[in-house]
Amino acid sequence: MRKMSLAEDDATVARLLREIAGGSEQAFVDLYRRCHADVYRFALAMAKSRGFAEDATQEVFVNVLEHAARFDPRKGSARGWLLGCARHVVVDRLRLERRWTDALPEQAEPCQQDERVFTEQRIERLHAALAELPVEYREAVVLCDLAELSYAEAAVALGCPLGTVRSRLHRGRALLGAWLGERAERDEAQAEAAGLPAGEVCT
Amino acid sequence: MSKLDDAAVRAELAALRAALATVAVPMADDETLRARFRAATRESPPRAAPRVTRGGARRYLAAAGVVLAIGTGLFLALPRGAPPATPAATAATGPQPAMASEAFQPLPSSPGFSPTASYSVVRVRIPLASFAVVPGSERSGSIEADLLVGEDGLAHGIRFTGGGAAVGAAQVQ
Repeated sequence: MRKMSLAEDDATVARLLREIAGGSEQAFVDLYRRCHADVYRFALAMAKSRGFAEDATQEVFVNVLEHAARFDPRKGSARGWLLGCARHVVVDRLRLERRWTDALPEQAEPCQQDERVFTEQRIERLHAALAELPVEYREAVVLCDLAELSYAEAAVALGCPLGTVRSRLHRGRALLGAWLGERAERDEAQAEAAGLPAGEVCT
Repeated sequence: MSKLDDAAVRAELAALRAALATVAVPMADDETLRARFRAATRESPPRAAPRVTRGGARRYLAAAGVVLAIGTGLFLALPRGAPPATPAATAATGPQPAMASEAFQPLPSSPGFSPTASYSVVRVRIPLASFAVVPGSERSGSIEADLLVGEDGLAHGIRFTGGGAAVGAAQVQ
């Protein structure tokens, strides 16, 4: 997920939000063109489903259309606000689809209903592990490490203090590290048992 | 049980980030977007107020109670009046440009807008003479504005509708 924008780009997004609030149809089209990929990738990173990401993206921009006037540049960046809107939509949809988890995964296995997004096994596994994280840690990791928001921007998007963002991010990374380490050990053991080189275990 | 350290996890996440950047993103065409825009604005036009309810007496009183706050906003927004003219001079400035704005602006010292709050929109007409702050620069006419009034009875935002009468400096004798 590329960095959404530099400061100038953020000013452009802020201007587009103001114009949408003023009823500009073209501004809405321009904002969509500029930002929909980041919203889609955020949703995809959170839910590991293209269909989910597509539906969520559509809902996000309908919400932006209705609530653009609420964006206040004094409270944070435009991209933080926009991804905050995306976060609300994604979290609500995850709850509705019963894909919400608050509990730490005892056995970190990929959710069977998630689709395979990446062909490279290592990336696919990491994405699956991310999708298993408790949502509060998952969204911190996705916003900071994948969407590359600053802590301050992520705090705006999540509606929590900056320190909370840091602690959730740290915890999320620690869980991923534990899961990935455990997975690597298991693969090695399976590879040894099968007489295969490490990294060639079928999943 | 081994685990990856923070640096290793961040490296893995960087790889995931790069992979996500290559994912093809479906995109709606312009016509679909415009249709979506029109459908959404027909149902609920983009407004600052999350919910609009009919005004009641309480809200009118609240509107009257915030006139001073509006005055501050008007004082800042309106061009300053000219220094007192010499005797017998007639101010012939003519109508000032309409200050129509479409989005609500937060009032000074207001708590701003909250996405979970409910607001009412109250349309008021304010005599500009109420806000003369420079002696001799009183303005005739009035200006129409929408106030965004919260459940706390306070005005949180203002939007000038541009429905003001002609504004001109007072005649100085």
